[in-house]
Amino acid sequence: MNMKLFIFIVLISPLLASLSSFILKNKRFAEYISLLASSLDIIGAFIILYFVLNFKPIFLFNNAIAIDKFSAYLILLVSIVYFLSSIYSISYMRLAINNEKMTENEFFRYELFFNLFAFTMLIAPMINNMAVYLIDIELTTITSSFLVISEVTEKSIEAAWKYILVVSSGISLALLGTILFYLSGNIPGSANIVSSLDWTVLGLNAVYLNEGIVRIAFVLIVIGLGTKVGLAPMHTWVPDAYSEAPSPVSAMLSASLENVALYGIIRYFGIAGKSLGFGYPEVILITIGIFSIFIGVMGIIYQNSSKRLFAYSSIEHMGIITLGFGLGGIFGTFGALLQMLGHTLTKSTMYFGAGNFLHKFKTKNIKKIKGVFHIMPKTAFLFSIGSVALIGVPPSVIFISEFLIILQSLKDGYYLVAVILIGFLLAAFISLLTKSGSMVFGKADENFKAERGDFSPFSYVPMLLPLAASLILGFYIPNGLHNLLIGIVHIINFKIK
Amino acid sequence: MLGYSMPLYIYVIEDLLVSLVLLSSFVMLSSRWISFYIHAYGFQSFLIFVLTLILGIEAQSVDLYLVAFLTLFVRTIFVPYILLKMIKKFNIKEEVKLTLKIPFSIISGVVLTVFAYFLMYRLISPFSTKIVVNVSSIALSLIFVGFFMIISRFTTITHILGLLVIENGIFLLSVVVVPTLPIIVELVVLFDILVTVTAMLILSMFMKMRTGSFSTSMLNRLVG
Repeated sequence: MNMKLFIFIVLISPLLASLSSFILKNKRFAEYISLLASSLDIIGAFIILYFVLNFKPIFLFNNAIAIDKFSAYLILLVSIVYFLSSIYSISYMRLAINNEKMTENEFFRYELFFNLFAFTMLIAPMINNMAVYLIDIELTTITSSFLVISEVTEKSIEAAWKYILVVSSGISLALLGTILFYLSGNIPGSANIVSSLDWTVLGLNAVYLNEGIVRIAFVLIVIGLGTKVGLAPMHTWVPDAYSEAPSPVSAMLSASLENVALYGIIRYFGIAGKSLGFGYPEVILITIGIFSIFIGVMGIIYQNSSKRLFAYSSIEHMGIITLGFGLGGIFGTFGALLQMLGHTLTKSTMYFGAGNFLHKFKTKNIKKIKGVFHIMPKTAFLFSIGSVALIGVPPSVIFISEFLIILQSLKDGYYLVAVILIGFLLAAFISLLTKSGSMVFGKADENFKAERGDFSPFSYVPMLLPLAASLILGFYIPNGLHNLLIGIVHIINFKIK
Repeated sequence: MLGYSMPLYIYVIEDLLVSLVLLSSFVMLSSRWISFYIHAYGFQSFLIFVLTLILGIEAQSVDLYLVAFLTLFVRTIFVPYILLKMIKKFNIKEEVKLTLKIPFSIISGVVLTVFAYFLMYRLISPFSTKIVVNVSSIALSLIFVGFFMIISRFTTITHILGLLVIENGIFLLSVVVVPTLPIIVELVVLFDILVTVTAMLILSMFMKMRTGSFSTSMLNRLVG
């Protein structure tokens, strides 16, 4: 099977969609070409995944592109959210043009950068050279900061400025870390020169790297890429950008961009672990993970805005995933990978729901959104189930992943970590459920003037699909997914037999 | 690698150039006028271009020549040109609002430089010559000064320049410490600078149109 063709299709279709929609300036065409491109991408992602799972990793163009199971998994996660967001964009942008005075120029700029953003995210996990990967992450920042200002307001400009400034400085730190990684393999006078920045080469020759420099380089990488992931205390841009961006973009930022950035940290985690032993990198990831969970939960508790609520929930989830990778072992890593999938599915549902609320109620304030159940029954139903799934109530896949992470911490004797994690999860459970409950149920305002009823199917079908998937995965994890995740666990953490 | 088998006067020139680089970063710390900043940045990039060229001659590496000339075009000519054009277009004469007084900024710069030297000495002195330690510690201090500029000044242009100074520091560090770095890395970093500066300038134009100023001190609506 010629894999070049499928990779080419996956990359070229969003690029063509973005350019053609911007040049032709036809609204219907722009909507459906994005949908078509994203459907092609999701099919392509499944084919790549199938090939990598059943045959061998893909290496193309003199090893410039390297796709193993981990990369293929990430490509799938990105294209799932791209697909859902491009369905939801149709509903969201039509409403924005009709009700929110969005201009045509703003709409076509949105379509241009929406597909470009997806393109930059899809190419990131394929890149072998870690420095080029970082620059690609920087490009995702730029394309998505233009998406944050889709509707140009003072608030959205502020959010975009904070986003681009904080993340660019973070990425430059990560670049410094990458250069130090290169230095660690190129010590003058040393017998073993590792002169490459490809993760495949670095991973194979990790034992030859200079340990002292790898220590510092790994910390710089975690800080730099952690800024992009939104790990505390580098999370300051996250709630602003996620709340000011249009909902389809918030979903892409939250559910796929974070995963793509975390992918880089985990690649370096594997390399550093092989070079130093896993003790040191694991402690760093555990510490930063717990701190992120703390900040995320505190943000959830004191939150009045519906979209910022989910931004803080993203910080919390990324903390849990980082903690899972940091705890290592088969349960921890498997749980973290599964949590990536669960978070991707449920968080897109929640952002789409919050977008529908925003269009109906014209506010993000939780206290002013009341009684959605009587006004938009379908959205409200999916939203309430989604929030239950998001916090990890049993039929959801997030329950399994969080349970596995707690199990790993108990197995390794990190009892304190387990207790803290359970405490924070309970706190998040109570506060998130209270807030979403007050939005969904509660008593509708008597003076509420807008028309009752749901928006078009484009507004709730993208909520239904990932939610159903996350609930089904909670009951039954298919054999293919299980094998894939086990394969990735072995790639990341080689000491597990 | 720098520091082997070259006549002594080359090292003297390199030391001189790199101390001028440090000086230019202090010029930025001590000035109040935006155009001053931009000229200092252009001067600094030019010095880095000359330094890279000398290193290229030393190492006899064609890649370094190419990188040096790209630096000349992008960092020394293009970026300062568009920044100055922007200032002219919007007729900015406002001073930079400083949260910290200039003497305090300079003292912080000195402290950061000493700290950078200390760090670099600890990190790479076992296997590097003295001149490499000197140049790379100044490169690291550029990174620190860039961060300090971002956090202590509240205009979009100074934020952009802060990022550019950080970028210069990383470039200098990579050229001096790992001259064998694949050229693709330097190329994509230059591309990244171009794209980032353009994007940030567009954003700050939006900001100027909406709020009437380049100052970022009023960006305080989003909290919590």
